[in-house]
Amino acid sequence: MLFLYRIIKFSLQDIFRNIWLTLVTITILLLALFAINTLVTVRLVSDTAVAAIKEKIDISLYLQTDAPESSILALQDKIIASPRVKSVDYISKDEAITSFRERYANDQAILGALKELGRNPLSPSLTIIPKDFNESNLVISELRVLDSSIIESRDFSDNSIILSKINNITKRVNEVGLFIISIFILTSLLVVYNAIRVAIYTHRQEIEIMRLVGASNFFIYMPYLFSAFMYALFSVLIIIGIFYPFLTLLQPYLEAFFVGYNINIVTYFLDNFWFIFGGQFLVVLFITALASLFAVRKYARV
Amino acid sequence: MIHLENISKSYDHKNNVVNDVSLAVEPGEFVSIVGQSGAGKTTIVRLLIGEEHPDSGRLLIGDWDITRISRREVSYLRRQIGVIFQDFKLLPKKTLEENIAFALQVCGGKPAKIKKIVPSVLKIVGLEDKGKRYPHEVSGGEQQRAAIARALVHQPKVLLADEPTGNLDAINADDIINLLLRINRFGTTVILVTHNKEIVNRLNKRVVTMDHGVVISDLAHGKYLL
Repeated sequence: MLFLYRIIKFSLQDIFRNIWLTLVTITILLLALFAINTLVTVRLVSDTAVAAIKEKIDISLYLQTDAPESSILALQDKIIASPRVKSVDYISKDEAITSFRERYANDQAILGALKELGRNPLSPSLTIIPKDFNESNLVISELRVLDSSIIESRDFSDNSIILSKINNITKRVNEVGLFIISIFILTSLLVVYNAIRVAIYTHRQEIEIMRLVGASNFFIYMPYLFSAFMYALFSVLIIIGIFYPFLTLLQPYLEAFFVGYNINIVTYFLDNFWFIFGGQFLVVLFITALASLFAVRKYARV
Repeated sequence: MIHLENISKSYDHKNNVVNDVSLAVEPGEFVSIVGQSGAGKTTIVRLLIGEEHPDSGRLLIGDWDITRISRREVSYLRRQIGVIFQDFKLLPKKTLEENIAFALQVCGGKPAKIKKIVPSVLKIVGLEDKGKRYPHEVSGGEQQRAAIARALVHQPKVLLADEPTGNLDAINADDIINLLLRINRFGTTVILVTHNKEIVNRLNKRVVTMDHGVVISDLAHGKYLL
């Protein structure tokens, strides 16, 4: 008990009597943690952006212009029965022409040509949204073999190209993102490791004197390990205090950017609080404790 | 008390800094080890406090063979051998009192014991009214006195002084030597490592002279020969 009291006392004495060094060390830890949390935020935003793009992808099945309504509705029911399909929207000929006119409201040439034609040339269609974007190709395969005489076109080559492009972009974004995050985390950890070693370097004389006056190894190491614990704890607590207001400020901008999409970065950090900040605490503690152990061992060899 | 039996030590496995040295120091003796730089004096100190292991030979403190002492045992050894250095080795951010108490605290000394011992050792070294001062607030001689007080807190049987007057003027150096003599009179064995000719000649005590890692003379009432 007396040992524990003294370990904590020496550690706190050391932290407060070298307050500038403590502040610099904690600042370095904070910068590293801020950078890592910012990367987590950027990753979340990019994931939401990719998901938003994927959600925009649908598959259109064009039907014969004279297909009876009852057959179309039967086909709609048949498609939606597939476990891979999220929704099937029926767009009638009339809805298609209305939408077409709205889209080209400012293009007199197209509207003139349509008027010249004198009839609705557009086909009714079914817009199919897969449950999982990654299963889009399987849904297309199902549509290709679908037994129905009212289907006008089964050419989904455009969809396949877009799907393939999005998949490639997503994969590349993930790879590059992971690489950048890894480099950044590694750099941050090395900076933190070095900061702790520098902090202990300034205590080399104290460690040497501890050895000279007969302190046990346990007593030499423990105050520095406790300091490492305090650095990790304070830096994570402060980053929580800094990062939540930062996220709250960021949230309205994200909402404005991703209109219609569910993105709440504050909720995300709250829901994953222990994973994100608990994990960061453990990693920082591991690195600071490891750096302390190596540094103290170097100076305790006297 | 202390027995060095055919001790040799080299740092590069070629040239011995200490070469086949045999030496016995009896309890209560005051021994000066003298010699020029590179004679091997400080290596002897390092061997005695377990900072270095000899390459060959045997090193005994009482009945304790410390030739191959483990890192764990070094802590216990250093509680039995007080040591002071030329550069005092005081912690600048602790008061003299705290520096002395520190030596007991890190070894698990009880608060009541610390409260009793610290003022008494401060009194022995004549710093009873300066315990609250930081090292930079006192003179070099007073810093060395504080270092001696710290070395005494474990009531060691041996006090090793490695060039204790090296950073001091003549008056302060004399004070420190007189203090070491007083400690020796209380029964503590003192080993003084120095190259200060005047001090050694004035002491008229046992002098071991080393040169190039070898003991070249060992006289009961010696003088500085080199």
